[in-house]
Amino acid sequence: MLHLFLFLPLAAALLLTMLPKNLKGTVAVGAALVNLALGVLLWTQGGAPLTSTPWIGSLGVTYTVEMTGPSLLLALVTSFMVVVSLVYTLRAVEQNGTMVTSVLAMTTGLLGIFAARDLVLFYVMFEFALIPALVMLAVYGEANRMGALVKFAAYTLFGSLLMLISIIGVKYLGGSPTFALQDLLAHPVRGAAQTWLFLGFLAAMAVKLPLFPLHAWLPDFHEQNHPSGVADAMGTLYKVGGYGLFVFALPLFPQAAETLRPLLMGLAAFTALYGAWIAFQQTNWKRLLAYAGLSHMGLVGLGLFSLNPIAETGGLYLLAFQNVYTGALFLAVGMLHARVGNVSTRQGGIMTTAGTLSGLTMALWFASIAVPGLAGFIGEFSVLLGAYQVNPWLAFLGGLSTIAAAAYALTAYQHTYWQVRPEGTIKVADLRGSELAVLAVPLAVAIFFGVYSLPALHLIQPYVQPAVTALGGGS
Amino acid sequence: MNSALQIPDVALAPMLPLLITLAGAIFATLAFKLERRVTAIFSIAALALSGFSMLTLWNENLTSFGGGLRADNFALSFGLVILIGAVVALLVSLDSTRGASLHFPEFDALFMYSVTGMLLIAFSGDLIVMLIGLEIMSLAGYVLASLQGTRRSEEGGIKYFLLGSIGSAILIYGIALTFGATGTFAFGAIAQRIAVGGVANTGLLVAGALMMLAGFGFKVALAPFHQWTPDVYGGAPTVVTLFLSTVVKVAAFAGFIRVFGSALPGLQAWSGVAQILVGATLVIGNLGALNQNNFKRMLAYSAVAHTGFLGLALLADPAAGGPALVYYLLAYTFMTAGAVAILAILQPSERGFDVAALRGLYYRDPRLAVILTACLLSLAGLPPLAGFWGKLFVFQAAFQNGYVALVVLAAMMSVVALVYYVRPAALMFMPVTDTSVRPVVARPGVFTNVAIVSCAVGIVLLGVLPGLVMGWLTSRQMWVLALGGG
Repeated sequence: MLHLFLFLPLAAALLLTMLPKNLKGTVAVGAALVNLALGVLLWTQGGAPLTSTPWIGSLGVTYTVEMTGPSLLLALVTSFMVVVSLVYTLRAVEQNGTMVTSVLAMTTGLLGIFAARDLVLFYVMFEFALIPALVMLAVYGEANRMGALVKFAAYTLFGSLLMLISIIGVKYLGGSPTFALQDLLAHPVRGAAQTWLFLGFLAAMAVKLPLFPLHAWLPDFHEQNHPSGVADAMGTLYKVGGYGLFVFALPLFPQAAETLRPLLMGLAAFTALYGAWIAFQQTNWKRLLAYAGLSHMGLVGLGLFSLNPIAETGGLYLLAFQNVYTGALFLAVGMLHARVGNVSTRQGGIMTTAGTLSGLTMALWFASIAVPGLAGFIGEFSVLLGAYQVNPWLAFLGGLSTIAAAAYALTAYQHTYWQVRPEGTIKVADLRGSELAVLAVPLAVAIFFGVYSLPALHLIQPYVQPAVTALGGGS
Repeated sequence: MNSALQIPDVALAPMLPLLITLAGAIFATLAFKLERRVTAIFSIAALALSGFSMLTLWNENLTSFGGGLRADNFALSFGLVILIGAVVALLVSLDSTRGASLHFPEFDALFMYSVTGMLLIAFSGDLIVMLIGLEIMSLAGYVLASLQGTRRSEEGGIKYFLLGSIGSAILIYGIALTFGATGTFAFGAIAQRIAVGGVANTGLLVAGALMMLAGFGFKVALAPFHQWTPDVYGGAPTVVTLFLSTVVKVAAFAGFIRVFGSALPGLQAWSGVAQILVGATLVIGNLGALNQNNFKRMLAYSAVAHTGFLGLALLADPAAGGPALVYYLLAYTFMTAGAVAILAILQPSERGFDVAALRGLYYRDPRLAVILTACLLSLAGLPPLAGFWGKLFVFQAAFQNGYVALVVLAAMMSVVALVYYVRPAALMFMPVTDTSVRPVVARPGVFTNVAIVSCAVGIVLLGVLPGLVMGWLTSRQMWVLALGGG
C-alpha cells in the first residue's frame, strides 16, 4: 500500500495528460483525496514498515522505503496540502492543466523523499521534485522568471551534487555493500572524512532548508511564481532540508555533527534573525512570506542542530506545520492578488469589505508567529526550550526572531488590511465558496494541532530520543 | 625455429558483425541506381542484423587473427552502442538529407564504411587493427562533413580533415614508439611486458603513451585538442553533426579505453597528464557552452563538456570505469541524438537557430517540447533520466580511484551545465510575448519522429530501470578478461 501511496499521484499526473480538459480537475482532486485517505489509512495502521528490493543490484542501489514517525507526519501534511492547493488551482488558475499535472507529479517526488531509506533513491526523489517546480515556474511565472528559475535550479543542483559526492563517499569509505541507510549505519565512516562528507550533505540541505548564506534563490523564486500562490504553497512543501538532516545527515555523521554543533546552531540562529529582519523591510507579501519562511527554517535548523530531544521534536513539529499555515498564507496572498491585482503590503483597508479573508489571514499569521494555541507555538517553544539547555545565548538570539516575527507580520498586516482604503480604488470582494475552505481547513488543522499536539508528537518522539541518544547528545 | 608455413587463424564468427556492416557498405556503394531511401533502409537492416549477430556472440569471447580481432563482451557492448547511434542517425537522415542537399547514395556508402571502421576499433586486439579502424572511420567522416556543397560545410570539413590527420599522425608516432619500447602491437602483450618490467626503454614507452593520449585527445575532443569540434559540429549539416557528436565519439572512446585500459593500465605516466586534460575539458567545455546563443553550437560545446565527464571513467579502475563508460555513452547517445534530431526538424536552415527561437514551443508542439526538455534535463544529469545514472556511475568510479578533487570539479561544472541546459528548456514553456524573434516550427518527418521517440523511451527507460543495462555490464570478469587478459 505504501507503493500505491507513493506513486498514485504520479500515475494520476500521467493519466491527466491523456484526459480531456473538462475532466482534469475532478480527476486530479479525486486522486489527491484518495492519496490523502491512503495516508491516513497508513497512519491508523501505524505506518508502513521497511521494505527493500534491489534496484541496480550490481552497484548496491536499492529501492528501500519506510513510512513511519516523522516521515509519516510530513507525508500526511504534504498530501493534505496537495488537496488544498489543487482545490484552489481549479478556481484561481486559468489554463490549469499543466499546473495540476505538475502538482501531482511533484507530490510523488515529495512523498518519495519522505519514504526513501536509500541514499540514491533519496537523491533521485529529491531532484525529481525539482522538475515540476521548474515547470510551474516556467509556464506560470511572472515576467522575470528566467533569472529566478536559473538561480533556483543552479543553487539546488550545486548543493545536491556535493551531496551526491558525499553519498558516493559514505558508501565507499565506510565499505557498505549498498546505499541503503541501515547498511550505511552499520558501516560508519570515521575520522576527518566524516566531517567532509557531512559538509557535502549540509550543502544540499542548507540550500533546501534554506540556511544563510545559501538562501538567495528563495525570495526570487516566490516573487516570480504564479500569483495564485499554488506554486508557492508547493514550494513550501519543498522544505525537505530539515527532514534530510534529521533522517540522514545527523545519524550518518554523528561526530561531525557534534563537533560542528556550536557553529551550525549559530548559523541557524543567525538565519532566523536575519530572515525576520529582512522580512520586516519587504513591501511585497510574497517576498515577506519567503523571508518569514527563511526565519522559521532557521529555527528548525536551530532545533535540529541542538542535538537535544526537545529541540529536535520542536524542529520537526515546526517543519511539519509550517507547511500548513505558510502554504495557506501563500494561497491567501494569491486571493489578495486576485482581488486587487498586486501583492503590495501597502494596500490599506482590505478589512472593510473583505472581512472573512482578512480574518482568516490574520488567524493564519497568528499561527505563523507562534501565538499559543496554534501549531506554530508548540514547535517554536520546544525548539527554544531545548536549544536553551544546550546553548542559552544562541537560544536567546533565535528567540529574538519570534519577537521580530510579530513585528514584521503585524506591521505589514496593519498596512494592508487595516488603515484606510485609498480613495477611488475598487471594492474588494470577500471570500466565496471553495476559497473559504481553502483557508479555513488549514487553519482548523493549525488550531487542532496547536491545542492537541499529542497525535503528532506520538509520531515524532519515539524517533527523536533514539536518534539523539545514538548521537551521544541529549541533555 | 619452426619454418613450416603458418596458416593464419581466421575465425569468421567474431568477424560476422563487421562483415555484415561491410556488406551493407558495399551494397550502398553499388546501388547508385536505387533511390536513396531504399539504400538507407537496406543500411538500417544491415545494422540491425549486425547488432543481432553481436547478441549471439555475447559471453563467447571469441578471437580471430591470433587475438588481433576480439569479439569479447567489451567489444560487443561498445559495438551495440555504436549501432544504436548509427541507426538513429540514419533514421534522421531519411528526412533531413533532402533539405541539406545530401540526398544521394554516396552518403550511405560513406556512412556505412565509417561504421565498419568504428566496429573495427571496438573489436581491435592490437594497435594496428585499431589504427586501421580509426582511419576508415575518420576518412569517411571527413568526406561526410564536407559533402554538402556549401562554404560552411567545406570549411568545417577541411578543418576536420587537417586537424584529424594531425591527430592521426601523432597517434601513429605514439604507436611506433610504443612498439619500439615493447616490441609488440598486441594490447595484452604490451600490458604483460609492462607488468613484468620487460620494457626495452621506459622513456620511449612514456613518450609513446603521451603521444597516443594526444592523438586520442583529438579524436574524442579532449581539451586542449578540442578546438575543431565547435566549428566542425556547428558547420556540418545537422545530420552529420549528430553522427560526429555521438557515434564517432563513442567509437573514439572505445579505442581510447582499449589502448589505455588494456595495454597501458600499469603505466602511471599517462594518467597524471590525462587527469589535467580531463579537468581542463570539463572547465573549457562547460564554460564555452555557457556563452553560446546558437542552439547547435551550444550542443557542440555540450559534446565537448561531456567528453570531460566521460574522461572521468577513463581514469578509473577498468572494472568500475568500463561499465560506467558504456552506460554513459549509451545514455549520451540517446540524449544527444534526441536533441540533435529535434534540432534537425526544427531548424529553418543548416545553421541551426538561436536559443531564443525555442520560446513557446510547448504551446505549438507540446510533445516535441517535452521530449527535448527530457533530453536537455538528462544531459544536465537530473534524475530520473538516463544522464543522471551516467554521471553517478562515472563519479563513483573516479571517486573510488581517489580522484576526489576532480569529481568535485566535475560536480561544480555540472552546475554550470545545468544553467545552459535549463535556459532553452525553460524557454520552451514560456508563452511568446515579443514578436522580434521568429519562433521555430517543426517540419514533419516520420522517420525522425521514430528516432526521437526511441531516444525518449531510451532516456526514460534507462533512467527508471538502469539495472537493465548495468546488470549486463558489471560482471567484473568481463572487464578483467577484456582489458587485463592477454
